[in-house]
Amino acid sequence: MALKGLDIFKLSPKKNCKECGSPTCMAFCMKVAQGAVSLDKCPYFSEEALATLNSATAPLMKTLTVGAHKLGGETVLYRHEKTLVNKNLFAVAIDTTMDEAAVDAKLADVAKVDYERIGERMYVEMIFVANKGTDAAAYAALVEKAKATGRALVLECWDVECAKAALAVAGKDCILDGATPENYKEMSAVATAAGVALGVWASNISDLYDTVKALEAAGNKNLVLDVTGANAKETLANAVNVRRTALKQEDRTFGYPSIVNLTKIAAGDARMQTALASMFVEKYASIIVMDGMSYAQALPLYGLRQNIFTDPQKPMKVEAKIYPINGADENSPCALTVDFALTYFLVSGELERSGQPINLIITDASGMSVLTAWAAGKLSSTTIKKTFDELDIANKIKNRTLVIPGKVAVMKGEIQEKLPEWDVVVGPLEAVQLPKYFKEKEYEAGVKAAQAERAAKSGTVQEEVKELSFEELLETRVPKIEIVDMGVQYKGHNPESKTFVTIGERIHCIAPSIRKAMDERDPAPILERAAAQIKAGATYLDVNIGPAEKDGPERMMWAVKLLQENFNNVPLALDTANMKAIEAGIKVYNRANGKPIVNSADAGSRIGYIDLAAANDAICIALCSADGIAKDNAEREMHCDNMLERGLSLGMTSDDLWFDPLFLVVKGMQDKQMEVLEAIKMFSDKGLKSTGGLSNNSNGAPKHVRPIMDATLVAMCMMQGLTSAIVNPNDLRLMETIKSCDIFKNHTLYSDSYLEL
Amino acid sequence: MSFVPKKQAYNAQINAVTLGTGEKAITIGGQNVMPFYTFDAPIENAPKIGIEVSHSTASWTTPGLAELYAGCTTMAECAVKAATVPGVDFIALNFAAADPNGENRSTEDCVADAKAVAEATDLPLVVLGCKNLEKDGELLSKLAEALQGKNVLIMAAKNENYKTVGASVALAYGQKIGAETADDINLAKQLNIMLKGVGVAGENMVMDIGTAAVGYGYEYAASTFDRIRLAALAQGDADLKMPILAVASVDAWGVKEATATEEDEPAWGNQEERAIGMEISTATADLVGGADAIVLRHPAAIATIKQFITELV
Repeated sequence: MALKGLDIFKLSPKKNCKECGSPTCMAFCMKVAQGAVSLDKCPYFSEEALATLNSATAPLMKTLTVGAHKLGGETVLYRHEKTLVNKNLFAVAIDTTMDEAAVDAKLADVAKVDYERIGERMYVEMIFVANKGTDAAAYAALVEKAKATGRALVLECWDVECAKAALAVAGKDCILDGATPENYKEMSAVATAAGVALGVWASNISDLYDTVKALEAAGNKNLVLDVTGANAKETLANAVNVRRTALKQEDRTFGYPSIVNLTKIAAGDARMQTALASMFVEKYASIIVMDGMSYAQALPLYGLRQNIFTDPQKPMKVEAKIYPINGADENSPCALTVDFALTYFLVSGELERSGQPINLIITDASGMSVLTAWAAGKLSSTTIKKTFDELDIANKIKNRTLVIPGKVAVMKGEIQEKLPEWDVVVGPLEAVQLPKYFKEKEYEAGVKAAQAERAAKSGTVQEEVKELSFEELLETRVPKIEIVDMGVQYKGHNPESKTFVTIGERIHCIAPSIRKAMDERDPAPILERAAAQIKAGATYLDVNIGPAEKDGPERMMWAVKLLQENFNNVPLALDTANMKAIEAGIKVYNRANGKPIVNSADAGSRIGYIDLAAANDAICIALCSADGIAKDNAEREMHCDNMLERGLSLGMTSDDLWFDPLFLVVKGMQDKQMEVLEAIKMFSDKGLKSTGGLSNNSNGAPKHVRPIMDATLVAMCMMQGLTSAIVNPNDLRLMETIKSCDIFKNHTLYSDSYLEL
Repeated sequence: MSFVPKKQAYNAQINAVTLGTGEKAITIGGQNVMPFYTFDAPIENAPKIGIEVSHSTASWTTPGLAELYAGCTTMAECAVKAATVPGVDFIALNFAAADPNGENRSTEDCVADAKAVAEATDLPLVVLGCKNLEKDGELLSKLAEALQGKNVLIMAAKNENYKTVGASVALAYGQKIGAETADDINLAKQLNIMLKGVGVAGENMVMDIGTAAVGYGYEYAASTFDRIRLAALAQGDADLKMPILAVASVDAWGVKEATATEEDEPAWGNQEERAIGMEISTATADLVGGADAIVLRHPAAIATIKQFITELV
């Protein structure tokens, strides 16, 4: 929780003694709030004020650990605001009025629900042991029985002696849910002595508040709040008010995890407990206590919980493996898709609907959808081959039909090459077409074609593949460059200039015409797009040759030579998932107008691109994310620092690392735009350069709106210190905005015709 | 009282929309607080429950449903039975059978079915189209015409057909119109703006903002619900103040947890109870997100959800 300068000022000595170096106490407090000076520069803050200030920076809600589980620690009321951190836990209740057989039966039922769903173990994490007026020995015996299940325990016990006996056998993995306004002093002593968290309950929220205050004053802040009221309505009110008071009113008295006990407000009604538990998963219960947990309850409740506690910025992944559908066996055909959970559910659902036995093969694609994964190099013939090898699919399945998603039809040839024994068939574009596709065996035509192709090939002798050096490749595989007059020439670029660097994004393999031109080494479409961008004033051109697994190096060498020889050594950003290709491109790159840019490294699996840039004296775009979008600017800053350190240790200068905050789509992440702008300011304050795919912000917006959004955002970003962007230079409004901003930033001298320059 | 919780009632409120006519008419929406936050301000109108009736209702095999609809053959007979289920506020007629890629039931036959239902029951009606854009363009318009004067809610106009569907349903025949989008708050707002643009009053509109069965990407639905309600109340966004109808039944009964037989999944136990559990949990999550009307299938789920609403409002 960041403190505002005025909040600190209220607690300051207000003597304006200037000993700290600031002219007034007010000025000093403002600097402290910005983190510019440390509070201890002033010796006159009272002990009390310092304690208040320190506790003001503590988290609003405590995180508690019970056994292997974490509770609480939430920072927001709704998952879209950031993310919910610690999923709620489910407990099943036993109590001292039950006879032994009933207890045994219930504990046995609890053990039955234990399964995995999308990488998460689903089971009853806790046993709630209620003492309903029995002696200490009997209660301790029941606790011991519960403990034998190995699950964490919640002991509901308002009697001090019973609690002591129970804790003697319960161990440390438990919560003593026993404090009330009447007994809290004694209970707190018992819980503290045993080193366990103390649950607090009161008949109304005001008494609960007072009791927590009293416990805190006595030094116990290891608490859980039992917010169960007289009925469902009161319990919801308590749960919401407790959480809201902590996070919105920033009153830490209620900043503790909570318990909701459904056995008290819906006793014996399993369906009602399912309904109420569904509500409390979303509405702020840390522990939900139920009478039992059948599959009819577990399947929906654990599914809902898994969804709600998914980090909105991290994709949900399913395990890469073979999923036999409709009773498929080793003789059933195979269909392949990515590990993004929604894709999996959609595709497996449609395959089930087809009624045909099919082996669905899920391949690791970092939880991205098919096209995104392909474009990022996370779904390629290499990654697919890796999955096939790791899962030993060739030995597990005898059928050799492999249907791939229609959206990546372009990969068919490469996959066929890596999996020569398989008949690779291009499936439908959309999942909804799958039932018909398999029911009517439409794939059989594809299988025949693949077999015929193979038969034709088997006659010809396979050329032995030998790894060629870059020089040999250049000599033998890169066509001679023809110089074509495109009517425009690159004007040159001074790398020392402070003016904004635009990187033209239009030569990208996601455009079918460019993809085709790259495949066929056809210069015309590439030169055309390059000429238009240069004419529009692009500083750099981005060259995206696609994943280019097979012929990356020669492709990139050709593209670099083609563009630089035709356009006065225009500087380039080399953009592909194939690192060898980037290296090859740099080998033939002319630095007259600036270093080549490596596009791009990140703090996760692509960290090696920094090493590549360092080894080749290139600029490197450094994306401040590792696995998915960074959750906040603290994470962005951490990635930034790590990548900076790595680059510097490899001998790069800080000017050669251009940090990318990752621009986010307004449609979908509107509330995160200011955060991106603040990240740019953070880079700028560190004296670092920055760039990024700025036009991503307006993805999906109507054509006539996009230039306005892009131009507005670039102006805001330049104000924050952005030094470069990957953009469409043919967007006149955007380019004129950039030129105008460069005037206001005093990066270039004004003249009436500055827009034409 | 040392501690008094801070109340969070808003100046803006959800539009109140009335469906049906006469004594059985219902009103949804009207509140100025987050769902079930009665501690902030009273909830104007409790959420309402609809029962789903389609052309396949008579042949549903789940024991509880088969028992309820025993002896029924037509949609109207099913509707009459459905109306007797305790807790039901309205009937949702699902015309999925009209889908040209499925049974392709003719528009004329569907119109006849709807008229027969309207004559047989006095509960308010909600009409669910077949989701085929082209067929719905014609079907929804004809159904709106046939049910004129009944003040029904027709689901739904979409981005691709709002002009024709919106204009005929709401303007020509004076019915309430639903605006359907899929887990996309920006599109939900845009569609409402476009519908207003063709002349539909915001007060005659209801939204279907997309849902899912719990466990099946429900996080998208949950966040769309939260964000739409917060935009309507906290930001007072007039283009998102429409009440929300959620069809929980179709999603919940379509996933493996509900469709797998006991032979398929011996450990999971009774199939009917699992389907009821999925329906209850999905419906509760929808209601907690902000659904003002919910469509369900099983009498047991309806009983539980009815009790849930009663206890919380």
